[in-house]
Amino acid sequence: MGETSGRIAMPWDDSRPSLPRHLYIHVPVCRSKCAYCGFYSCSDLGSGDHPRLVRHTLGLLRGWLIPEVRRAPLQTLYLGGGTPTVLGDELVTLIKGVQAMVPFADDAEVTVEANPESLTPGLAESLADAGVTRVSAGVQSLDDDALRRLGRRHDSASALAALRCVAEAGMQPSADLMCGIPGVSADTWERSLEGVVEAGAVHVSVYPLTVEQGTPLAARIAAGTADAPDEDALVDGMDAAARSLGTLGFERYEVANYAMPGHRSRHNTAYWTGRPYIGVGGGAHGMLDVAHARACTLAPDDGRDVARVRYSYVSDPFPGDQPSPLASLELLTALDAAREDAMLGMRMTDGIDDGAAERAGVTDVMRSLADDGLVSHDDGRWRPTARGWLLGNEVFGRIWNAGR
Amino acid sequence: MTDPTLIRNFSIIAHIDHGKSTLADRVLQLTHTVADRDMQDQLLDSMDIERERGITIKAQAVRVMYDADDGQTYQLNLIDTPGHVDFTYEVSRSLAACEGVLLVVDAAQGVEAQTVANALMAMNANLEIIPLINKIDLPAADPERVRHEIEEGLAIPADEAVLASGKTGEGVKEALEALVRLVPHPVGDPEAPLKALIFDSYFDTYRGVVALVRVVDGAIQTGMKVRLMATSTVTDVEEVGVRRPANIPVETLGVGEVGYIITGLKDPSLVKVGDTVTLAKHGAETPLPGYRDVKPMVYTGLYPIDGDQYPDLRDALERLTLNDPALVWDPESSHALGFGFRVGFLGLLHMEVIKERLEREFGLDLLATAPSVEYHAFLANGETLVVHSPQDMPDPGALERIEEPYLKATILVPPEYVGAVMELADQRRASFKDMQYLSATTVDLHYEMPLSELIMDFFDQLKSRTRGYASLDYEYIGYRESHLVKLDILLAGKPVDALSFIVHKDKAYARGRVLTEKLREIIPRQMFEVPIQAAIGSKVISRETVRAKRKDVLAKCYGGDISRKRKLLEKQKEGKKRMKSVGSVEVPQEAFMAILKVDE
Repeated sequence: MGETSGRIAMPWDDSRPSLPRHLYIHVPVCRSKCAYCGFYSCSDLGSGDHPRLVRHTLGLLRGWLIPEVRRAPLQTLYLGGGTPTVLGDELVTLIKGVQAMVPFADDAEVTVEANPESLTPGLAESLADAGVTRVSAGVQSLDDDALRRLGRRHDSASALAALRCVAEAGMQPSADLMCGIPGVSADTWERSLEGVVEAGAVHVSVYPLTVEQGTPLAARIAAGTADAPDEDALVDGMDAAARSLGTLGFERYEVANYAMPGHRSRHNTAYWTGRPYIGVGGGAHGMLDVAHARACTLAPDDGRDVARVRYSYVSDPFPGDQPSPLASLELLTALDAAREDAMLGMRMTDGIDDGAAERAGVTDVMRSLADDGLVSHDDGRWRPTARGWLLGNEVFGRIWNAGR
Repeated sequence: MTDPTLIRNFSIIAHIDHGKSTLADRVLQLTHTVADRDMQDQLLDSMDIERERGITIKAQAVRVMYDADDGQTYQLNLIDTPGHVDFTYEVSRSLAACEGVLLVVDAAQGVEAQTVANALMAMNANLEIIPLINKIDLPAADPERVRHEIEEGLAIPADEAVLASGKTGEGVKEALEALVRLVPHPVGDPEAPLKALIFDSYFDTYRGVVALVRVVDGAIQTGMKVRLMATSTVTDVEEVGVRRPANIPVETLGVGEVGYIITGLKDPSLVKVGDTVTLAKHGAETPLPGYRDVKPMVYTGLYPIDGDQYPDLRDALERLTLNDPALVWDPESSHALGFGFRVGFLGLLHMEVIKERLEREFGLDLLATAPSVEYHAFLANGETLVVHSPQDMPDPGALERIEEPYLKATILVPPEYVGAVMELADQRRASFKDMQYLSATTVDLHYEMPLSELIMDFFDQLKSRTRGYASLDYEYIGYRESHLVKLDILLAGKPVDALSFIVHKDKAYARGRVLTEKLREIIPRQMFEVPIQAAIGSKVISRETVRAKRKDVLAKCYGGDISRKRKLLEKQKEGKKRMKSVGSVEVPQEAFMAILKVDE
């Protein structure tokens, strides 16, 4: 992979949706691991390694930039992690490096994930100057005890300060919050929701606390030294978020995401609407149209019925140093792709249209889901109901496994 | 043919885990029957399950040649017996082929329930009993105490008990010397018509039914026309041989000798353990004593999880029955579970072993319903019904009375646990008969109790309440009337036939309540609320509710989560396949066994 010389240009024009217009860069570095986190990140990489990490990441990106892709302006860039802000000024170098390799659309959305403690006013200024438009901050809670129990390195005051300094630098603050944390009262939860909005958040993601296997939290619950999240508290927390944020003028556009008008995450929306995207960095995932994947020799052109290719990098800060930089490769048929799109579409308020359901071969499934009160059908669109959102696995499972 | 005075036929009997199979291994080594390089543990246990569980299921016979200190070479026939109470009849037939036994007792554990049961069987068969205290190399070994227990508890002189270790081989030669010296040689009439006892049989795919036999009178030869007396089957003996432990053909088996005969028969049900082989013409008038048909004691429904495997399950049962005529089965159908079989077993271990073999050797995915016993239902109209499955129990209105099988149970425990045993016995309708101190550390308790209570997790409960010290043995004593009722379980308002069970009237409320509670824990939350009810006839006696699922969603679903999500959904679907849809309710398999885990 990464070989780009001597390739015949693809007959694409820039407006075709099959060209990736979205880029995800995974920065697999954290200062320490949080108790609940099951994602890949590396907490022992010294700052001396940061310049190498930036060069390495840009090198991985180069491998995907066949000429057609290089000509298609990027609509969104998302720097996630890990904790990208741990890189400090090297993060700016990374963003500028990407800008030197691919054109950006005029209204491109550039998001950086941040933990409150690593987001200084100085860094916020430099990020804004480098073209960053959004910062997604891992606030999780405004209950200091809960933050300590979860192994977060910040407190509620520094979280609110971080959101304010994002806004002051002219970027859109987004806050991640966790509901259903044992020991956090309904009142404190309400205050967390209102607090982040007061501090300037125009986008809020609300995740129920999930116990991932192999995390310290899971071990503590198994040992009886921590409480497991309670299903009723999780549901009540999700309901409270929908109510409070609704009152404050937010729209729920996805099961876990709320935005003030005009502030939805365009990058994440791309994931849920089947848009291809390039992903680079240790542990990162990407999804490409089969023509692009074949042009990069990612998938063989052997006449198999493949429409979409998903890949992921190995969990290593320098995947290119490995004998095989990729950890997984999935070849999906057109029907698989349509199923995926239908499943993910049903995470969103807008749902999917009749045509999408038909392409995925799930019209009958949607009808039975409607009988069970999990989806509704209006104006030629299938949309999740409130209950369907909460019982998403039932909806997604029946869509994905239809007829299997 | 060997001179009978140079033959010794013996068996090794022991409580489970007292080291019988290891000791047998040492005998094979010491007599050079098996070369050291071919030696493996538990050589006589050929099934994987036997080796893994450390148990013997099938009887075995092996001939070894032993050069004794008196300068003579003796033919020793070691008949290895199953060690579990499920196979008591097989043990008794194996013993009938012997003149003596080595009674193996663990030097640390001492006398346990099956030690007593096996010793009694050997005494009843008038066998010479040579006590052997095994595992003397263990740090916890206390041979003096064990010697005392053997003398006090079993009334067997143990002054000269052999002290041995199957592990180190110590004392094995002394055991063989004692066998040669003390066990009487076989006595029979070589001129009389053939009489040979079948003490086990197995099915060979190429050669048909092979019977293991002990010749009592006369002789048996290849080519002879013989008759199996119980089934009146006449056949030609295709081959006669001895097992060392591989089959070695010989010309003739004479008085007292042990070996195999290839019967040429393809139907295993014609060759019954305990039957007598005689000549087809001018044969013996009367068979050897003690033959009886083996009857299954415990019944369960076996259903394929995937209904398409039904024909495969039938084939597999047919195959297993070839080697295990004690296994009986009939097609059965359930509204809840579809098509399956009602299968009868000798006991719970037999049931577990068969289920495991069906799953492992035949790749089947099976659901087993709670085990039940054979009830005799006497109807008001004078008819009698034999009921193997709770769902077949007639309505109370049509019933005059029900009888159920009873057992005499022998429980050996240290005195400090007698209270715990009595409490459990009380909960299980066991009536106390008597009690006797075998030694200061062992009490022998006798109860009479229904088999249906014993198969309900009784042994596990007994073990856990006595910290593993109790040992149990039992024998069937016949049918007795009990005041029994059928308890039905309803899920979402619909009765689930496979969950019905028969219970004593006085226990019905408590069991119904505990079972509904247990089911509430086992049945996962569904899309809708699921009421669970226990009812006798139309009367509901307890009710629980599985609340509807409120939330089941992966909150984060971004780029990298999508593949994971799909895999999770596929796995979830596999998980659902492992459940049974009963009406609209997804029921995990363990629900059908929940009644066994009801600890009041």
